[in-house]
Amino acid sequence: MTSVGHQSLSQDTRLAWLFALPALLGLLCFVLLPFVLSVILSFTNLRLGSPLPLEFMGFSQYQRIFTDQAFLAALRNNALFALIVVPLQTGLALLLALLVNQPLRGMVVFRSLFFMPVVFPLSLVAVVWILVFAPGPQGLLNQLLETITLGAWQARDFLHDPVWALPAISLTSIWQGVGFQMVILLAALQGIPHELYEAARVDGADRWQQFVCITLPQLRNAIIFVVLITTILAFRLFDQVQIMTQGGPNHATTTVMYEAVNSAFGSQQVARAAAMTVVFFTIVLLITLLQRAVSRHDRVIE
Amino acid sequence: MSGKQRIRMLSVYLLLAAFAFTFLIPVAMMFFGSFKPDDQVLVQAGRLGSLLPTEFHWFNYRDVFARVPFARYLFNSAFISLCIVAGGLLVNSLAAYAFARLQWPGRDWVLLVVVALMIIPLEAIAVPLFYEVTLLGWRDTYWVQIIPFIANAFSIYLFYTFFLGLPKELEEAARIDGAGPWRIFFRIVAPNAKPVFASVAILSFLTQWGALLWPLMVTHSEAVRPLPLGIATFYSLPPLQWGDIFAFGVMMVTPVLLIFVLFERWFVQGVATTGVKG
Amino acid sequence: MWLRKLPILVLSGWLGIFPWLSGCDRNSEADLMVLHVWAHAGQEAERQVLQAQIERYNLQSDKIQLKLTFIPERDYNAQVQAAALAGDLPDVLEFDGPYLYNYIWQRHLIPLEDVLPHSLLDDLLPSIVSQGSYRQHLYSVGVYDSGLGLYARKSALQKIGARIPVSAADAWSIDEFNQVLGQLAALDDDQAVLDIKLNYSGEWYTYGFSPLLQSAGADLIDRQSYQSSDGTINSPAAVSAMQQLQYWIQQGYVDSNLDDAAFTSGRVALSWVGHWEYERYRNVHQEDLIVLPLPDFGHGSRTGQGSWNWGITRHSRNSLAAAQFIVFLMQVDEVLAMCDANGAVPGTRSAVQQSALYGGQGPLALFAGQLMQGVSVPRPKTPAYPVITTEFQNAFQQIRNGGDAKQALDIAAHKIDQDILDNQGYPFLQ
Repeated sequence: MTSVGHQSLSQDTRLAWLFALPALLGLLCFVLLPFVLSVILSFTNLRLGSPLPLEFMGFSQYQRIFTDQAFLAALRNNALFALIVVPLQTGLALLLALLVNQPLRGMVVFRSLFFMPVVFPLSLVAVVWILVFAPGPQGLLNQLLETITLGAWQARDFLHDPVWALPAISLTSIWQGVGFQMVILLAALQGIPHELYEAARVDGADRWQQFVCITLPQLRNAIIFVVLITTILAFRLFDQVQIMTQGGPNHATTTVMYEAVNSAFGSQQVARAAAMTVVFFTIVLLITLLQRAVSRHDRVIE
Repeated sequence: MSGKQRIRMLSVYLLLAAFAFTFLIPVAMMFFGSFKPDDQVLVQAGRLGSLLPTEFHWFNYRDVFARVPFARYLFNSAFISLCIVAGGLLVNSLAAYAFARLQWPGRDWVLLVVVALMIIPLEAIAVPLFYEVTLLGWRDTYWVQIIPFIANAFSIYLFYTFFLGLPKELEEAARIDGAGPWRIFFRIVAPNAKPVFASVAILSFLTQWGALLWPLMVTHSEAVRPLPLGIATFYSLPPLQWGDIFAFGVMMVTPVLLIFVLFERWFVQGVATTGVKG
Repeated sequence: MWLRKLPILVLSGWLGIFPWLSGCDRNSEADLMVLHVWAHAGQEAERQVLQAQIERYNLQSDKIQLKLTFIPERDYNAQVQAAALAGDLPDVLEFDGPYLYNYIWQRHLIPLEDVLPHSLLDDLLPSIVSQGSYRQHLYSVGVYDSGLGLYARKSALQKIGARIPVSAADAWSIDEFNQVLGQLAALDDDQAVLDIKLNYSGEWYTYGFSPLLQSAGADLIDRQSYQSSDGTINSPAAVSAMQQLQYWIQQGYVDSNLDDAAFTSGRVALSWVGHWEYERYRNVHQEDLIVLPLPDFGHGSRTGQGSWNWGITRHSRNSLAAAQFIVFLMQVDEVLAMCDANGAVPGTRSAVQQSALYGGQGPLALFAGQLMQGVSVPRPKTPAYPVITTEFQNAFQQIRNGGDAKQALDIAAHKIDQDILDNQGYPFLQ
């Protein structure tokens, strides 16, 4: 009934295809097609540049990666990383958004400051943070922690410590990404009508109650959006790992994407890398669907 | 202002300042370190000195220009990113409009596929894509760094949610006046969608500005290489020249920072009306 | 409103023009043959020398013009591989040591023994010949080779009364080495007395530490057949050699070297590294600097070899011209010019003789000697090398971080063997 009005359905269709064709064509050729190719390749034994003929291998690539310690560690690390980063980053973003939303002077400056890291390319961020994590008492973070804990902190080599390496990378990622989330939450915060708070104050609700009963529900959609995007991005973790820890120590920081890229370019096993990316896609798709089901958000696709 | 309010205000500022300080540490380190000699950078690495402008030399910047054709790389990065952004704004917004406002068979299924495609990162399809562009003969050109990235599922999604939220009255009114769909889009919808255009522009620009893996795979001439490949030259063999790396980093980030500062207001506004509406 | 469209229009116009402009070849001479040359972007001095060499060559030739492209070193192999896949390789290019064999296997290179003069072939260092030869053909020559050893401060060693070895034959045994480490550590503030360049990444670990395995009687792969690493890379000898290394790290003898100044600042007395540090070290320590062979883990002191080498691709339309260029680069003066710039060991005997550093009684004669006397071991000459080095590097990282050495090496062996199986043993196809 209500499309662009008086035109017939077929005219509408033709128009729609005209509008959508360039983008759809681009996505088809440069995203969907390579991905489908990846799926097909995952059933072969393709290697980069090998003069040997291609063979069909059935599920054996999948078999191999699921019995590979490094890949299993990667899956585990991706999950851990998402579990650490998503709540922490979202929580911090919310806190910063709440702070910056105060009607005080100079908030624009703070807003820009917190957003600044987002503007840095990930590779640059990783390089600079290597220095921050420098081992020994001279390292910046070690120094800072020692000062804060009044000498109780023992200097660590974060990036080479099996326990601290992943948290270190998480910290770097949170630093880089929180500004983006903050801006989204801030915008949502600014969209909450004042009347709601007025009414609540009249009813005698204190600040905490106002936060829980008004702010959070109103922010629900924004938070869901932010969590979804951050989760997807968290699973794509690659740059920091490649530059800062190379997957170590002892596979403590390797991720699915890192294993895939290394398989393809380091060991030249393209088919194996393809299998990994198919697994990756399936997992993230499932998680995304799960999140959407749980959130009962009626925004997009019915 | 009451005492309680004053305390609240102070604590907010204090908290903000503490966060701002921690946030700025790496940035200050990079910025001020770019003016210091390499050994100073390392000596100061753990101390407060690394965050302060203790010395001021230009030789790192000079080095950067001497060791790599920085101006060329900068131009390449800018050109490639701008083309992707410009092309993307046009192509993705049109597609999103088709999803948001037009009825056509299969629309919802295609939209579902597009949303699913958002998940796929470049690294996952890099090798097949590489074979593809090699077949097309696009290697070592500007084209190969631009064309595959113009259509973007995430941009379409952002435009889509925004267009859904636009009130239909303006478009209805224009239609009644006899305007065709192209005019409606370009004269009514787009001008009212400045915030989302700004957000998509900034986001895709940021993504493309820092792209490393793809240019690495498909280019080798300096004529078409972008900035991130330039940093690879510095981050190669030890001894790492941190001063140079920092200088490169500063020069790489400054243009983007400036753009962001200029368009920040639009960006925040744009973000407010995209994925967030209830 | 059209104003909004204007930028897009301008950009589209730009889009059309610029790629075309960038693709323009500056060379307008019709019957001039252009040879494309790729080289790794090494240190500034190296690049300048090569650039000057290309320019001089171009001046003296009226038929051939060389076009040089520098590729960043860190991603060199990835870029070459990508170009190889696309059929886009230049006429002449450098290869990073043992990555050569994979390209030979992929049938990208032509044999050189027919296009290079005998006088040159006879003059090459045995290590260069060994590196460039595969399956009875010579596919590459290196202008220079590398030297690996233990730099030390004579004064520090004299203070603890240690014996100072002068050649690979009387290198320290592992027990002596441990003793030296312990004695040095006792006198040192932070116990760290040895630098093994833990700040380096990538190929260094295979280059710098596979000699450890070889000195212990093990190796990266079984060189009889090149079909399996199991039992070689994870043999008891290999495991205990790596455990020895791990012991040094865990005892605190090894400096993390984040600032790459452990040796130059005097924090450590020993530095396990290659020829490229000689100049920097010498500038700081002057006469106090001495060069020692690596310790003997039981089967004789072993050391590494191999460096960038030049090959000619099958795609080249004028391989004779390309060969002429290589002959030019291998002339004594040109070799010495390059070695002056990067401090490497000259690739020909005549150049070594004339080298102040490496000839006769020069300070780095030890390195040249190791290469000529077979103390140096080439990294495995097999197309499986990329996997071997990746897996050994992974194992090294595990071990360096305290992981179980046997387990790490077992995993490496398994992965390497799997790769060889996957590639059907890397058969040599014609």
